[in-house]
Amino acid sequence: MIRSRFTLYVVLAVAALVLLSQTLFVVDQREQAIVVRFGEPVRVVNAPGTQGAGLNAKAPFLENVIKFDRRNIALESQQEEILTSDRQRLVVDAFVRYRISDPLSFYRTLRDERTAEDRIERLVNSSLRQVLGSATQQDIIAGRRGQLMQLTRRDVAQRSQASRFGIEVIDVRIRRADFPQANEEYVYRRMQTDRQQEAARIRAVGEQQKRELMAAADREVTITLAQAQELGETTRGEGDAQRTRILAQAFGKDPSFAAFYRSMQAYEASLGQGDTTMVLSPDSAFFRYFEQGPSGGRR
Amino acid sequence: MPWNDNANPGPWGSPGDDNDRRDTPPKRPQGGGPRGPQRPGGPDLNQSFEQLQRRFGRFFGGPGGGLRPGAIAAVAGVAFGLWALSGIYVVQPQEEAVVTTFGAYTRNEAPGLRYHLPFPIERVVKVPVTSLQRVDIGGAGESDVPQESLMLTGDENIVDIDFSVTWRVSDADQFVFRLRDPEASVKAVAESAMREVVGRMPLDAVFGQRGQVQAQTAELMQRTLDQWGAGVRIVEVQIRNANPPQQALAAFRDVSSAEQDQASAVNEARTYANRVVNEARGDAARIIQSAQGYREQSVREALGDAARFNSIYTEYRRAPGVTRDRLYIETMQRVLARSNKVIVDGDGASAPIILPPDIFRPRSQAAPPAASAPEPEVDVRPRARAAQ
Repeated sequence: MIRSRFTLYVVLAVAALVLLSQTLFVVDQREQAIVVRFGEPVRVVNAPGTQGAGLNAKAPFLENVIKFDRRNIALESQQEEILTSDRQRLVVDAFVRYRISDPLSFYRTLRDERTAEDRIERLVNSSLRQVLGSATQQDIIAGRRGQLMQLTRRDVAQRSQASRFGIEVIDVRIRRADFPQANEEYVYRRMQTDRQQEAARIRAVGEQQKRELMAAADREVTITLAQAQELGETTRGEGDAQRTRILAQAFGKDPSFAAFYRSMQAYEASLGQGDTTMVLSPDSAFFRYFEQGPSGGRR
Repeated sequence: MPWNDNANPGPWGSPGDDNDRRDTPPKRPQGGGPRGPQRPGGPDLNQSFEQLQRRFGRFFGGPGGGLRPGAIAAVAGVAFGLWALSGIYVVQPQEEAVVTTFGAYTRNEAPGLRYHLPFPIERVVKVPVTSLQRVDIGGAGESDVPQESLMLTGDENIVDIDFSVTWRVSDADQFVFRLRDPEASVKAVAESAMREVVGRMPLDAVFGQRGQVQAQTAELMQRTLDQWGAGVRIVEVQIRNANPPQQALAAFRDVSSAEQDQASAVNEARTYANRVVNEARGDAARIIQSAQGYREQSVREALGDAARFNSIYTEYRRAPGVTRDRLYIETMQRVLARSNKVIVDGDGASAPIILPPDIFRPRSQAAPPAASAPEPEVDVRPRARAAQ
């Protein structure tokens, strides 16, 4: 009967498919796998450093496959408050990059990734405490951060090897190393006062420059005026000298007349202003005729 | 509904339907009934499906009949063909494709129309390799993430830095296979690197040497990512904002205003100096000019006096006695004409003469106009000198 033969084919095909799916398994380039027979890991496929991704075979039904990530995995550690060697508190936040390098050990010790993360995180935290605890705050923040990260990495690698985690610690990096909240306020205050001091200094320098400039200007003013005075007085002196010379030359021709002439001028200039009250005696020269009549005394 | 009156409306309307729509547009929503254009499903589709079934049924051996082997082969062939064709794919110009065979890395493919053995044999992951990716740290735009942006500087100050990292995939298969979460890794590395770089510098250097901070961070990031084999190239690290923390911002701003104050103090001083010095130069010029004027005046006046004396003297020599008397009397006349006079003959007096005090009071300036009107010759010179 055609129909029953067809059914048989279908059954056979299904059976073949089941068998095939139990025998063959795909290991992605990003994964590695261990083959477990009755709970006992027997071999590893595509572990780091080996080839083996792609289609693989195993004994059907007896063995099963457990896959792990083969890539570089990131693990963030919790923020930790640590005490540095100079008794300062720092909040440190690190992350680890690791890779499952020995899936057999990994499977035996840690079983799965979640457990692994838990254990590795604890390990990293304790390493950080130890390494950073022996460094000063200044070293952690500034000077030797890279070096300290290297040290931590080495420590984590060593301890994870000792515990047979089957992982390779690629890198430990400190992401943040900050002051705890309470200390931050002090830092802000210090920064503030620091800047205030700077501002005051700048203003004072400004004032200093201002005064210097003004003093220089004042000095220049004084000097300029003094020089002008000097030149002015010299010039006036020259004028006086020339005047004296000229007048002496003129008056020198007849000193007696010059004295008379000059006295007349002086009398008029000093007495002829209308504010003088003169008490005169009638026998002065001017009143000669007034007193003694037309003969003028020449009797 | 008027629509149903139309002759033979197709599943999506008919030509008449078009007219109808054009003539009475508002009726369209009404027309969207069970057979309207908005409901393409419905009896018509069912009908065509039945048709299809009927046709296939005939092909597979008629209704109720057994399956024909030829038909099975044909179906299998078509299915296989379709399966085989499903391997055609396009790699866009900015992409690179990574092909895996049963999960194992096989090859990279460049942009273009490509073929891979169909699922589940080969698979393709397309990675954008030329387009730039960007990750913002410390918040993007308005949002601020202080726990990302606040960091310690080398001199233990805190600075608020927002920055962006531009990167691209440099090696598609490394990018796909090496790291579990490459994008997040780039961000984590960026944060760590920036903090390390800033931690090495004093605060002022962070503000003053942004370029250096950027370059060093980019370099450190690149080194770390290369060490991991991430297949990522850091194109640029750009600091978008580098500010003092909010709490100290006012003080920092005050420093810049102090700098302004300093500059304005200096400017004020310069203004003062310019004004005062130039005024002094003006004053100096005035002093010198007036002295020169004085010299000139003295000389001229002396020359004038001398000339006048010489003239008078020449005449005087001709008649000395007469001229002397005349000069004396004329001068006395002018002097006495303008003075208070008390003439006392002291010869016959036996007792002191007491004069009334108001005689000594100076005569008022509004004295007889006749006295001041004629300007006497001799008067000119002393007046001028007094006015000098």
